[in-house]
Amino acid sequence: MTPDAPAPTLRQFLDAWELFHDPVVAALVAGGVLGWLGVYIVLRRVVFVSAALSQAAGLGVALAFYLQSAVGATGLAGDPLACATALTLATMLFVSRAEDGRFVSRESVLGAAYLVGSAGALLVGTKIRKEAHDIGDILFGAAVLVTPEDLRTLEIVAAVVFVLQVGLEKGFRFASFDPDGARIRGLPVRLLDAALFTSIAVAVSVATRVLGALPVFAFTVLPAMAAVLMATSVRSALVIAGALGAFAGGAGYVLAFLRSWPVGASQAAVGVALVLGAAALRATFGAVRRAAGAPRA
Amino acid sequence: MSGRAREGGAAARDDVLLRARGLVVGFGRTPILPAVDFTVRRGELWGVVGRNGAGKTTLFRTLLGLHGIVEGAVDRPAGVTIGYVPQRHVLDPLVPARTADLIAEGAERGRSFLVPWLGAEAKARVARAIAATRTEPLLDKRYRDLSEGEKQRVLLARALAGAPDLLVLDEPTSAMDVVAEREAIDALTRLREELDLGVLLVSHHLGLVSQVADKLLFLDADDGVALAGPADEVLGDPLFARRYGAVLADGEASRWPSSRPPAVGAARPTEPEAGA
Repeated sequence: MTPDAPAPTLRQFLDAWELFHDPVVAALVAGGVLGWLGVYIVLRRVVFVSAALSQAAGLGVALAFYLQSAVGATGLAGDPLACATALTLATMLFVSRAEDGRFVSRESVLGAAYLVGSAGALLVGTKIRKEAHDIGDILFGAAVLVTPEDLRTLEIVAAVVFVLQVGLEKGFRFASFDPDGARIRGLPVRLLDAALFTSIAVAVSVATRVLGALPVFAFTVLPAMAAVLMATSVRSALVIAGALGAFAGGAGYVLAFLRSWPVGASQAAVGVALVLGAAALRATFGAVRRAAGAPRA
Repeated sequence: MSGRAREGGAAARDDVLLRARGLVVGFGRTPILPAVDFTVRRGELWGVVGRNGAGKTTLFRTLLGLHGIVEGAVDRPAGVTIGYVPQRHVLDPLVPARTADLIAEGAERGRSFLVPWLGAEAKARVARAIAATRTEPLLDKRYRDLSEGEKQRVLLARALAGAPDLLVLDEPTSAMDVVAEREAIDALTRLREELDLGVLLVSHHLGLVSQVADKLLFLDADDGVALAGPADEVLGDPLFARRYGAVLADGEASRWPSSRPPAVGAARPTEPEAGA
């Protein structure tokens, strides 16, 4: 947009709805499912796992493009989604086993995984001329164009993850927040953990391929932060985070159109605003409770 | 390393809740304690005592199936259910949780996590656990807002909601003031009698445990000692006396007046330890 050009309006956005339908729906779906999953990521204190995963997915997509252009790879080796999913699952397996060791902390391992993904994607990106702009989209989240195939894949993955999450919600909750107690009560904690982290890895890799690494990381952290500030139970936090994630995705897209901002950054900005709003709400609610004589919450 | 087992009194076989046979605990294949044999029966209160790093946590995690066995076996008759009361800090204060929901979680067992709601029988167990622990006034509060004593009662209610035969408590009175500590132990001994529970109480607070336990497991990984048996016998054992005799004689136990006089006479160290 040039400085003299009139700012785009909501009316223009709605008039061109057919053009924006797929990317907006993709943002709503990805925001919703990643917001829900983000509650586990935030409360299990593995935020940088999702950062490392989204970067690994970006590297997977870049590798697929490189293999296509350099050696004419076809099939799974040249398929961006397949490569993103494979690298994300491999990273998930690697970082989920990382523990504080004698010489290297778990945080350092996560940092290294993040850097391998992000630097690797940029390095591989320099080897690809034709799809260089696609690599930028993946890393920074332009998300202007979402193909019907991408949207379909995202919807299927989101539906499967959502059904799994709702069906096994109690199991995921117990296994995540009191694993010893869950084991003693006979729950298959390892299986539940594997299902949860596979859900996260697959959702992150597919969403990264469609929307980009930045908004995906934002969706997995910010809506959950806001939800945890407001919720009284994990179950309500999951529902609130899903709703806020979808809102951040959709509203962020509209805001990006109106302000001519990068889509991923705009969606992250909406997420930050939600966290600030939730913190303000909590502070206000706490002040009212204290004024009424209730104990500090 | 010294390991002994002395079990007093024969009880009906049906009352056996947990049996350790030649149990060696440790990390990987490396033992940290000698083999120990003991049997926990219904109605018994076992205290597991020892200093920090004595191997208490490793032993109880092994008994609960959370940690691999180096040697020997742990038998648990089919149908025996365990209620586990973790240390209060195990539940992350960041996780939003209402007290009522936390207690209800205790009623879940096995595949019940596949059903989104609690059945009538489970609800009745939860109601009994709440009544037994007198936690009704806490139900609408957030767990993180409770006092240490209240948290302990909630965790106890959560464990009781599973209608356990054996209750395992990990350092239930750590970081509590004396009054809260007293209330927690009074509640535990009352519930043990009312519900005819077997209890395994892990604590580094010897004065407390020695006053309420029928049987003791004394562990010391440094000296390679694992003693199991009736409390008076363990308290009087020279191996125990070397570590704890002076502590008991100096009055740690006096915080807990009891009908049973502590065996401090017999537990005084027979030889001074270096640096003592």
